[in-house]
Amino acid sequence: MTAAKTCLIVDDSKMIRRVATRILRELKFEPSEAGDGREAIEMCRISMPDAILLDWNMPVMDGLSFLKVLRGSTGGTKPVVVFCTAERDIIKIAEALDAGADEYIMKPFDSDILGSKFTEVGLLNQDRLSQSSL
Amino acid sequence: MSGALSLKPSYYEALKRLTIELVGVKLGEEHEFLVETRLSALARKEGFESLPQMIEELFSRGQTRLAIHVVTALLERATSFFEGRKGFEAMGDILLPNLHQFYRGGTVRILSYGCSSGQEVYSAAILADKLADILPNMDIELTGVDYPSQALERAKAGRFTHFEVQRGLPIRHLIKYFTRNGEDWVVNDSLRSKITFADHNLLTDISDLGTYQIVMFRGHISQITSHAKARILRSLAGLVSTNGYLMLGCHEKPDDTNFWFDPVAIAPGCFKRREKQVEIPEPEPEPAPEIIVEKKPQQAFIPTEYRGNGTH
Repeated sequence: MTAAKTCLIVDDSKMIRRVATRILRELKFEPSEAGDGREAIEMCRISMPDAILLDWNMPVMDGLSFLKVLRGSTGGTKPVVVFCTAERDIIKIAEALDAGADEYIMKPFDSDILGSKFTEVGLLNQDRLSQSSL
Repeated sequence: MSGALSLKPSYYEALKRLTIELVGVKLGEEHEFLVETRLSALARKEGFESLPQMIEELFSRGQTRLAIHVVTALLERATSFFEGRKGFEAMGDILLPNLHQFYRGGTVRILSYGCSSGQEVYSAAILADKLADILPNMDIELTGVDYPSQALERAKAGRFTHFEVQRGLPIRHLIKYFTRNGEDWVVNDSLRSKITFADHNLLTDISDLGTYQIVMFRGHISQITSHAKARILRSLAGLVSTNGYLMLGCHEKPDDTNFWFDPVAIAPGCFKRREKQVEIPEPEPEPAPEIIVEKKPQQAFIPTEYRGNGTH
């Protein structure tokens, strides 16, 4: 059996982190948490996760700044980064993708959306999603 | 849980039979929940005070129009973009390149039969648009057909909720092909204009829909009774052109009674139309006794080694 994939949840809302942690555990990930971009950078320096679920608007260091620092650092291209934010503006979404985000979730989200997006970027096996029936 | 049910138990069975009779679809064992949720909404829309009142009316007066609405509501599917992803991969990697080679470009027509709220046909349109550079000079026309329903109206409008656009649709496709409108996202005209939607009453003949190189009928066949399956496969075969394909769900296949499609999938859920329809053998006509009498002398010319020895 392969080791569970790790996912760092970066969000200043404790409630969002708790919800995401629960969903990620159900999807067999090993989650960890950071409350802002700066804290997330420190955690990535110690151990680079397989995936990062990233909020945009946070104190100290926001998600976009974090992403730019991450992608420029050693081993920083490895994690799959999925933005998870209330920003819905197409220009903002394009900005995040240009900065190196792999996928983008618009809040509010649920476990179906998170599972679908993680499948999209290859973090989950697509066979997990069977053809829906009636 | 039975406290949540509002109809007499016999009505649930009657609705199940009605669905089989009209469209050949078997509702699941626990279809009471489906009946309650889908039909309560329909009852309100149809102006009835309650679900029981609508069902009483349905069975006491036997109105065809109401029966169609009821069955349509029961069959409405929740779908997501690029559902059964391996089927779309096959369409892009195998089916469309094969058709491109065969027709040397030309026009390829794709039908989503039972398109519901449209995610399947819009996904196919996105795929076709992405392949435009790789498959030059190929014009892809798409058609979505379903029973008249609220889902079909939403498909025609090309309007999807915040949640729907995040199920199966990559974010890059969302920002390229959709525009945000309040809480919803609406398909851009450039994509919408490639698709024609049509109402198709569930009791009418489908042969007037024309022919297509790809007919998508995904996620339905496993729910259909074997009797109706043969009938539906025959009808669908009439819509698929020679060298065309039938796309079922990734884990579905036409059953053994199928004469129209190669039984071996060329990709998950993809079946090629047989080039020539296999003739169903007609039963041998009963030979008239006098012909046997006339033929009898000819048997003298049959070499002895071919003569029957009287045993079979």
